[in-house]
Amino acid sequence: MVSLEVVLLIGSFLILLSIAIAKFTDNLGVPALLLFLAIGMLVGSEGPGGIYFDDASSAQSIGIIALIFILFAGGLDTNWREVKPIVWQAMSLATVGVFLTALTVGIFAVFILDFSVLEGLLLGAVISSTDAAAVFSILRSRKISLKGMLKPLLELESGSNDPMAVFLTVGIVQLILTPDSKWTYLPLLFLFQMGVGSIMGLGFGKVVVLLLNRMKFSYEGFYPVFSLAFAVFIYAITTAIGGSGFLAVYLAGILIGNSEVVHKKNLFRFFDGLAWLSQIGMFLTLGLLVFPSHLLPVIGIGFMVSTFLVFIARPVSVYISLALSNHAWREKAVVSWVGLRGAVPIILATFPLLANVSNAKLIFNLVFFIVLTSTLLQGWSIPIVAKFLKVNIPVKQKRWYPIEFESRIGIDTDLIELIVPYTSAAVGKSLVELGLPNDSLVVLIVRNDNYVVPSGGTVLEAGDTLLVLVNKNNLSQVRVILAEQLGD
Amino acid sequence: MKISDILEEKAVVVNLQGNSKEQIINAMIELVSQSPKVLDKDKVRSAIFEREKIMSTGVGNGFAIPHGKTDGVADIVAAFGVTAQPIDYQSLDEKPVRLVFLLVGKDNLVGPHIKLLSRISRLMNKEDFRNKLLVVQSPKDILETFRQEEASYSEL
Repeated sequence: MVSLEVVLLIGSFLILLSIAIAKFTDNLGVPALLLFLAIGMLVGSEGPGGIYFDDASSAQSIGIIALIFILFAGGLDTNWREVKPIVWQAMSLATVGVFLTALTVGIFAVFILDFSVLEGLLLGAVISSTDAAAVFSILRSRKISLKGMLKPLLELESGSNDPMAVFLTVGIVQLILTPDSKWTYLPLLFLFQMGVGSIMGLGFGKVVVLLLNRMKFSYEGFYPVFSLAFAVFIYAITTAIGGSGFLAVYLAGILIGNSEVVHKKNLFRFFDGLAWLSQIGMFLTLGLLVFPSHLLPVIGIGFMVSTFLVFIARPVSVYISLALSNHAWREKAVVSWVGLRGAVPIILATFPLLANVSNAKLIFNLVFFIVLTSTLLQGWSIPIVAKFLKVNIPVKQKRWYPIEFESRIGIDTDLIELIVPYTSAAVGKSLVELGLPNDSLVVLIVRNDNYVVPSGGTVLEAGDTLLVLVNKNNLSQVRVILAEQLGD
Repeated sequence: MKISDILEEKAVVVNLQGNSKEQIINAMIELVSQSPKVLDKDKVRSAIFEREKIMSTGVGNGFAIPHGKTDGVADIVAAFGVTAQPIDYQSLDEKPVRLVFLLVGKDNLVGPHIKLLSRISRLMNKEDFRNKLLVVQSPKDILETFRQEEASYSEL
């Protein structure tokens, strides 16, 4: 047994190394996640690191836990108002699109590989979901974005298509293990899983919002911990009763992220950090799990499947899924190109591995190779393709404040500028003496072209411009205090 | 940034017509909208009146500084007017207003906007400066008065 300090030392070192490398390769356009995978491979069994790790079961558990947090954080971060107009298109991509990808890749695999129909479909199912996180990190680092509704569409698609891929994979593994079972029950099972997942996710999401706002914890740190535990709980309880836990967690995240919740900014930061830790941890683990030498024999077939996926399966799925939408062909082409495969396929590939399905090892190595190539090729070329198809736009200039504040995050709180009236009774008084209401705060004073950072003892002068963070309900009180005249 | 740098002569009026606060503000918006930097007059108007709802910008001593931020302008724009008659501006000190400075900032350039606000409100707090502006007869002289005052202001 390895001692704890050794495990901690290696673990922390790997994470630090990942972050350092991600920082220095920010501008190369290589998805950071791919680098984490590479680091995992390098320190792994066959790299210079030589850490032997072949425990698919642990890797799968780490992957599932990481995915819970990634999906929850992704949901929190989804702006409902922004994605609302394209919900149906994204749903179509996440269900019909995923199914078609699985089907076409499956058929292709049966033809070129010595696979049974079910094994082929299993391969298709495992690599059927996309991961847009990588894409958006690239676009951000190159300071371009995608036109119109493409960005929210792709983000929502990649966030919501994992449950379908999980369903297909688990369903097909089941069919392989129990050959006499009928596939006809699958559509019903699908409806049941997604239905239960939706109800549990939205229901518990609502509960979390209510509880967060009512609980009044004595420690601020309780809020994120409470949400964290709840996210895990939602996944576990939904999966336990046969629903799609991933869908439930994602939906709960969206609901919470778009509701008025106390300490929301805090919550966002916490889960953003947690999502990164999960991404890094998951990719490192998956990198460790693979044996690069096992990839060599599949390079030929891997390339063929990868090429088929990128140039035929994905575009066909996208065009059919979006047949009813009014997207131009250029937009559909870009949606097709942003079909990067991420960690989910690798995690899903451990399912057949653990179930001892025949050809599972081959499927795992193939999937690993396909993920590598599709991420590398598509990830790297997205900015070029977007420019070529003329669907790129420069990243919108960020709102520039001497102090940053996003009013959508606070509850009814806004940052407004107020000028101290010349004859106000507030002139010559310190901020403490003013007795501004709770929930209101003078965050900055602009005086003589200078920013003055206020403290309680700062004395106001006539004509000072104040940036006041104030709850809308207290605004009138602030107004009365500033408007009060000398001698009144 | 200096007031005299952003205030254009054609956006200055010495005999601003109007009987009410609303008329005066609208006249000022017309004035500032001659600038090509104003992309959407309606957005400017709603930003100004929204801000006015929060708290009157009649900051006292006969001066008002209607202002707002919007993406309806390409850059900061300003207008200045001396009203033909005293206006009831619902000022905080309840005195009528004669001097009006309109400032419209760009949505994502808040820093320069609030710095200019503070500079204007500072300058206009000086009684002798206000009196100078009240007697000056042409937009050109108003700009010159601003220029001189800012020259001494920056020596503060």
